[in-house]
Amino acid sequence: MSFYSARASTWQDRILGVNWTVIGLFLAIGCVGVLTQYSVAGESFGPWAWRHILRLIVAVGLMIAIANLSLRTVYRSSYIIYGALAAALVAVELFGSINMGAQRWLDLGVVKFQPSELMRIGIVLALARYYQGIEASDVSRLRHIIVPVIIICVPALLVFRQPDLGTAILLVVIGFSILFLAGLSLRYFMLAGIGLASSFPIVWTRLQNYQQNRILTFFDPERDPLGAGYHIIQSKIGIGSGGLMGKGIGDGTQSRLNFLPEKHTDFIFTIFAEETGFVGSLILIGLFIALLIALFFVARELKTHFGRLLVAGFGVSLFLYFFVNLAMVMGLAPVVGVPLPFVSYGGTSLLTFSIAMGLILCVDRQASIDVGR
Amino acid sequence: MKRRKEGRGEVFSRRALIMGAGQLALTGVLVGRLQYLQLSQADKYATLAEDNRVNYEPLAVSRGRIVDRFGVELASNDQNFMVSVVPEQVEDIDRVLSHLQSILGFSDQYSAETRKLLTKAPKFLPFTIADNVSWEAFAKVNLNVPFLPGVQAVVGEKRSYELAEQAAHVVGYVGSSRNREGRAQSSYFKGRAGLELAFEDNLKGEAGNRRVEVNALGRIVRELERRDGNRGDDLSLSIDAEIQKTATQVLGDHSGSIVVMDAQSGDLYALASTPSFDPNQLSSGIDEKSWNELLQDDHKPLMNKALAGLYAPGSTFKMIVALAALEAGVVPRDHDLECTGVYHFGGQDFHCWEKDGHGVVGFDTAIARSCDVFFYDLALKTGIDAISAMARRFGLGRKTGIEVPGEKAGVMPDRDWKRANYAVGWQPGETVITGIGQGYILTTPIQLAAMTAALANGLHLPSPRTVMGSESEGSQELGLDPEHIALVQSGMINVVNDRRGTAVRSSINIGGMKMAGKTGTVQVRRISKEEREEGIVKNEDLPWALRDHALFVGYAPLDNPRFVVATVVEHGGGGSSVAAPLSARVMKTALARKSVIEAQQALKAEQG
Repeated sequence: MSFYSARASTWQDRILGVNWTVIGLFLAIGCVGVLTQYSVAGESFGPWAWRHILRLIVAVGLMIAIANLSLRTVYRSSYIIYGALAAALVAVELFGSINMGAQRWLDLGVVKFQPSELMRIGIVLALARYYQGIEASDVSRLRHIIVPVIIICVPALLVFRQPDLGTAILLVVIGFSILFLAGLSLRYFMLAGIGLASSFPIVWTRLQNYQQNRILTFFDPERDPLGAGYHIIQSKIGIGSGGLMGKGIGDGTQSRLNFLPEKHTDFIFTIFAEETGFVGSLILIGLFIALLIALFFVARELKTHFGRLLVAGFGVSLFLYFFVNLAMVMGLAPVVGVPLPFVSYGGTSLLTFSIAMGLILCVDRQASIDVGR
Repeated sequence: MKRRKEGRGEVFSRRALIMGAGQLALTGVLVGRLQYLQLSQADKYATLAEDNRVNYEPLAVSRGRIVDRFGVELASNDQNFMVSVVPEQVEDIDRVLSHLQSILGFSDQYSAETRKLLTKAPKFLPFTIADNVSWEAFAKVNLNVPFLPGVQAVVGEKRSYELAEQAAHVVGYVGSSRNREGRAQSSYFKGRAGLELAFEDNLKGEAGNRRVEVNALGRIVRELERRDGNRGDDLSLSIDAEIQKTATQVLGDHSGSIVVMDAQSGDLYALASTPSFDPNQLSSGIDEKSWNELLQDDHKPLMNKALAGLYAPGSTFKMIVALAALEAGVVPRDHDLECTGVYHFGGQDFHCWEKDGHGVVGFDTAIARSCDVFFYDLALKTGIDAISAMARRFGLGRKTGIEVPGEKAGVMPDRDWKRANYAVGWQPGETVITGIGQGYILTTPIQLAAMTAALANGLHLPSPRTVMGSESEGSQELGLDPEHIALVQSGMINVVNDRRGTAVRSSINIGGMKMAGKTGTVQVRRISKEEREEGIVKNEDLPWALRDHALFVGYAPLDNPRFVVATVVEHGGGGSSVAAPLSARVMKTALARKSVIEAQQALKAEQG
């Protein structure tokens, strides 16, 4: 890989030249994660907090490294990266290891990783690259719809088969958001909406009773207070009992007494909300909104369509994870095992978002560079 | 490089703004939800979180002992050897169960049952596999504990009744109330009968409790607050274990009751009822078959016959009739009458037990020889209402108020009672048989004992009590002419000590201390005219349930009476042949204990 070298590139330049507003907001949110993981472990840096700190540092390094990649190189590798990840998904299908009842992990001997997570980047890269080469007037032509739909649906179906319905849906939503941003005629979105809505009753009546129940519980967990609903009920108790100011760091009873599952990963917001209250929760939400606004300003300055779609696609994906996770722990959305970006403990999630942020920094740093078609 | 068309960027900007607005709107939903959970509903969720976290746990305390007047244990707490397992620590439950089975020897069915219960039990709480394990088996399990991870050999408490059957009815028994898991580690006892039931509140003590913080699985994380309880109070009885034992022993296989009471204070020295049951067995969990046997036995082992057995007093009632007649002044003290063996009244023949008659008898001799004709006549002269009123002054037909639960009132009939309960009014013939304590009249042994105590002390009717220092209802003054009392007492002395007395064979002399008393034989069947002419069938030839009840009431010594005995032997035969000798044996034991008891009483009085 060749570094971008149009400008004089001292090490200082390479490090200080990136968008530190974005990195700063990323680190601020990451610190919320460190704090909460410290608290969840019984006010201890082990086993999660210190690793999270380490990962944040590595993530910042990785972002700066990616930021210094040549935008043209990134652009040209888009399809290759997408293809490699699709191949990895097939490999998971064939050789992946079973974990928690689903096949998601690929063991490469040294590292175990989830290609489905990284595929979020792959899809955004491939779609951005595809639309870079298409005029606005051609976007809604049938010929130019088929390829993006294939780019989205092939990995989504592979992920769905793992089975990981939540991630598959997120991949589809991220993909179609880029189609929307690229200017696909709203007619198609309406058609898709009508199609989904009208097929629903037919599908529903064909489902077995227990399947219907499972879906109903999926959407209304309190139907099953001792099973699937238990976690949501306990999570709501945790958040609600935090009140305005919270119980204080380390004093959240719901988490410390194990009423919550996955408290350092998917349900980490519950702990944070229980311990810091409404005020703390608003601060965290504010940090995410600030980061998204910063990304919006980055996108506005970009010259290339590829870059704009890349930043917007990653922004959408960041918002989706943030929104779905919070909605889930507050009992507004089904439990779909989506981590809270930068806050939840977990390597793959943080790695994926760091790569995405790195790519955003990369296009931001080379805002004036054109990549061709 | 071609020039990009301008449209692309504009479309993107517009749509990115729309999308950003949508994201803001969705974030607004999140903030609204947070506001609802953390501000509007904060109190509700704070309460729920607290409920989640805090549990109350009771802390068991030892139950108070029950001791006799000298501190001899009648009910105490023994070690209960138990074997339990903590499910989460067990590696191989089948191996553990089969190993325990080989030591403890429970059935395969029990093993399967236990295995099933174990799957549902909380993983971290000890689950009792067996309790009341023998010391040998317990020691073996203890030896094997290192090789059986999860198995615990623990020592708990169980209720133990030292006198077993001999004091079962007065002491009672407990049931263990296990908590909802069915077989929890510690058992709490609850009085189910006898004084264990009556004094439950004193005996159980005050269970402590602790407030604990629990995690989602119910496992205790830490103790927030602890309040230790107070062990139950010991209950000190007036019962003397030695007299109680003798009373039960002399009854033997009979079905009946012996009450021994203090003639002055009403303190009960013995309250025996036979046949009995083993309270140890009932307290540790009796099997259904044995329980049904107890319920169906026609000798009614579960019934406390001293309080709940209802018997016509028979001839033991004659003293009351005599006192009623003397007080009413219907006859002088030297009144006499010739007994010919039969009394004619209202076209009916009322027979004396002495077929050939007693000849001329007065108060003294009529009581001593238990002449029926004398009392038929006396009853008629006195009238039922006066007799009834006198009987009530002696506590007959009404509960004595003893602390032991299950007492019955009995019946002391009079004209009003008859009118209230029957269509026909009182018949004069009914007064005749009431004169010898038969007919509607029903009393309990404890009432007879209290009555006898009043006759012995001549001044007051004591309230029977079993618990030392308990507030008795207070004795009632009799307000009778001492000369009348003396006349009746002389009759009672002659029952036992005159050579023609009905209980002369049961006379005793313990260091000069003698007994007075009165026999009673109560018919439970009607004797027909034909049978009377052909010769009355002997009791031994009758089926058990048709034989006469044998009664005896007595007191000793003659001066300053200390002990009263009241004996009822159901279908036992004659009062003089059966009840009097048994009473004499009990009285001998009691008199032998007299100096010890009085020394203790003196000591108590000095201290108190």
